[in-house]
Amino acid sequence: MISLGIFGIDAVVFAIVALLTGAGLVWLAMWLAGLISPRSFNPQKGEAYECGIPTRGESMARFHVGYYLFAILFLMFDVETVFLFPWAVKMRALGGEGVLCVAVFFAILVLGLVYAWRKGALEWK
Amino acid sequence: MANLQEKVSRLFPEATFEEGEILLVNIPDAKLHDLVKSLRDDCGFDYLVTIVGMDWVSSLGCVYYLTSSLSKEFVSVKVQTTDRDNPMIHSIADLYRIAGIYEREVYDFYGIIFINNPDMRRLFLNIDWVGYPLRKDYDANPEINPVSIENERQTDHTDSWVEQPDGSIKHERPRVFKEDDFVVNIGPQHPATHGVLRFRTAVDGETIQKIDVYMGYIHRGVEKLCEDLGYMQTLHFMDRLDYFSAHNYHHGLCLAIEKAAGIEVPRRAQVIRVMMDELSRIASHCLFIGTFCMDLGATTMLFYTLRVREQVLDIMEKTCGARMTFNYDCLGGVMADLHPDFVKDVKALLEVLPKNVAEYNKLFTGNVIAHNRLKNVGVLSNEDARSWAITGPSGRASGWACDVRKTHPYSVYSEIKFDQVVRTEGDSLARFQNRVDEILQSKGILEQLLEMLPEGEYCAKVPKVIKLPVGHWFQVVEGCRGLFGVYIESDGSAKPYRLKLVTPGLPAAAVVDHITRGQKIADLITIGGSMDYIVPDMDR
Amino acid sequence: MEMRHVTAQGIPYEAWKDNEYIEKLVTELQESGTNVLVGSLDKLINWGRSNSLWPLTFATSCCGIEFVSLGAARFDMARFGWEVARASPRQADFMMVAGTIVHRMVPVFRRLYDQLAEPKYVIACGSCAISGGPFRKSYHVAKGIEDIVPVDVFCPGCPPRPEAMIYSIMQLSRKIKVERFFGGKNRQESQKEFLAAHPIEDVAAANID
Repeated sequence: MISLGIFGIDAVVFAIVALLTGAGLVWLAMWLAGLISPRSFNPQKGEAYECGIPTRGESMARFHVGYYLFAILFLMFDVETVFLFPWAVKMRALGGEGVLCVAVFFAILVLGLVYAWRKGALEWK
Repeated sequence: MANLQEKVSRLFPEATFEEGEILLVNIPDAKLHDLVKSLRDDCGFDYLVTIVGMDWVSSLGCVYYLTSSLSKEFVSVKVQTTDRDNPMIHSIADLYRIAGIYEREVYDFYGIIFINNPDMRRLFLNIDWVGYPLRKDYDANPEINPVSIENERQTDHTDSWVEQPDGSIKHERPRVFKEDDFVVNIGPQHPATHGVLRFRTAVDGETIQKIDVYMGYIHRGVEKLCEDLGYMQTLHFMDRLDYFSAHNYHHGLCLAIEKAAGIEVPRRAQVIRVMMDELSRIASHCLFIGTFCMDLGATTMLFYTLRVREQVLDIMEKTCGARMTFNYDCLGGVMADLHPDFVKDVKALLEVLPKNVAEYNKLFTGNVIAHNRLKNVGVLSNEDARSWAITGPSGRASGWACDVRKTHPYSVYSEIKFDQVVRTEGDSLARFQNRVDEILQSKGILEQLLEMLPEGEYCAKVPKVIKLPVGHWFQVVEGCRGLFGVYIESDGSAKPYRLKLVTPGLPAAAVVDHITRGQKIADLITIGGSMDYIVPDMDR
Repeated sequence: MEMRHVTAQGIPYEAWKDNEYIEKLVTELQESGTNVLVGSLDKLINWGRSNSLWPLTFATSCCGIEFVSLGAARFDMARFGWEVARASPRQADFMMVAGTIVHRMVPVFRRLYDQLAEPKYVIACGSCAISGGPFRKSYHVAKGIEDIVPVDVFCPGCPPRPEAMIYSIMQLSRKIKVERFFGGKNRQESQKEFLAAHPIEDVAAANID
């Protein structure tokens, strides 16, 4: 009997089927669209859209580091939110112990946020 | 005016004068800069209204209109050059910031090069356009300037003719953008530029370093078209410039022609015209609030404000027959009498206005996000507003009391009591709040007008073909976005020799570069929206 | 030739019979031997496409304001499915050319049309887009957009009332409903084929000096 810790075989099978269906539907939609869609080509279609005017200069330009900081911070807190969802679903079953674990997890990340805030990473300079 | 004439002739003995409603000073080109400088510094003429390019077949030249924000007096300066192959006039771009753009327009239409203007490029037409359209000898053959689907040639250089210390003129090619600037096009097709306006923006990350404005993507050549039409026919273009101030622009052009032709408008028609002007103002400001908030992301406001606008348009449709291109004011009065339901409908509108305005304030004006996005964004100081010729509610937000209805009252405005809405902060929030308050002022004006609406004729009898005597006339009115001026020069025939339209949109777009440097791209949208320019208005 | 009983979801039969243009189109298709609305699959796809036409926000002058009114609560284009007006041409279905096209705007306009993704349609809205309008005699105005892009529907007016605009987009919707999606409009051209047929040098950005 395959089992994964506290999860039984049902849960594993469900998880695998859900994953495959999700990926499969996406692939199916894209394949069908590619099969039946009308398509044409002209030189302007492949170019970058800049409100109707051709672009100027190289695309490989230096970008401001502020974009990177915002992106990283967003990514981290987004992942944190993803981790919070499974706990929220099973909140009652996990009880007080669960709340404590999550609170510690949350506090560590809030410390990170406060650090970023104080260092001025949230301002644009 | 006599004082001014004496003063000028003492300092500049080579000047000659023409009397009229506005004093005209003829000056040779060599003394132009000194004269304008002395007018600005010694006589207080701090507002350059317009530069009218002219082609008097034997010579090319310009007529400058200046006014003083204190004494409200007008003066005009005329300068000519007989060299048609290489006409050059000295620039006054260092005295008035808006003169740089006005001179580019004159160069575009007439080919007159302004010496010492740092950016002497065409304004509206393609960089490779052949010829100068408003010259009388312009060849309009479509084969010379065909419609092309090839992209316009782009260049980072501009032209400048600089006077050297020894008196010679040197042609230089300064750069607009540095080589390693990251330049992005915002517009012409963009949901937030309020029309087809192109900002070529040098950005460093999110911060804007410099904006180069390209106009002319809706330049239809209205001024040239008017030179081929009778005076009555020129009226219908006024609806299509600033389509929200359709009545106001019609009113301005009608007043100019009626002044020149000596036509007297019956009182009922005058009151009707002003009522339609104020209704337009309400509708225009409502739409401004809606689209401005939509640009910032508060889409709901558009639906709320368009509800009031639709009510106004219903009132106008019953009388004028159309929703936007009314063509209602005509020479001698208005096209048709008011609909019998007019007074009742306007009273119903005025009743719901205060509730609606309170709703807009509750929804948006006090919102903390609105404050963060509008407060201290795009601050325009009082001197800058006058130097850049920013009139209308945007200019009044910088502390400059420039309402034409108060400074140069026309029609029945001198009999009406209302307040000019002036704020001093000069930021986008002030510009926004000015327009909200003006809606309520217009309500007060309409209430007074409904009381004083007399019976009588709605249109005077005018001849079928209007011929103006030889001369020139200048009339200003308050459009919904600022000062609208009309300059007519007539050579005695049934068609205007020159019809120049002074619109508030041109300075409003030209100043965006000045007040947006150092701010973010999102602030550009806020500033562009709060300056409230309409692009066909500036391009004409 | 009597028009075979054409049906389409959501449009009453009278709207087909009363519509001279659609009648002609259907009879043409029938005469050339193609089966109009060949099968349920065509019908299904056309139903989906025609009921959610997404316009490109393209307004140059006064007609654009009537388009904004069209989007507002009174005339409400959301009830037809068109409220998702995209600013980017890659995501839009059709282009409602509202306003005058002038010489300087022509390359920009053409470029936007080229960047629209197939299947794409154009509605010429207002007399300026149809023929140059009141500005036809001007030195800087293109006399209508028909020479620049292929037009599907013409909507006259100066500006056309929002109700007229609704009618014109409904006409486009009817036109789409009788299209044969498989075959005919559904050309599939690949980039490789195009480049083989039209050798072009490197499509670089415009020359900047």
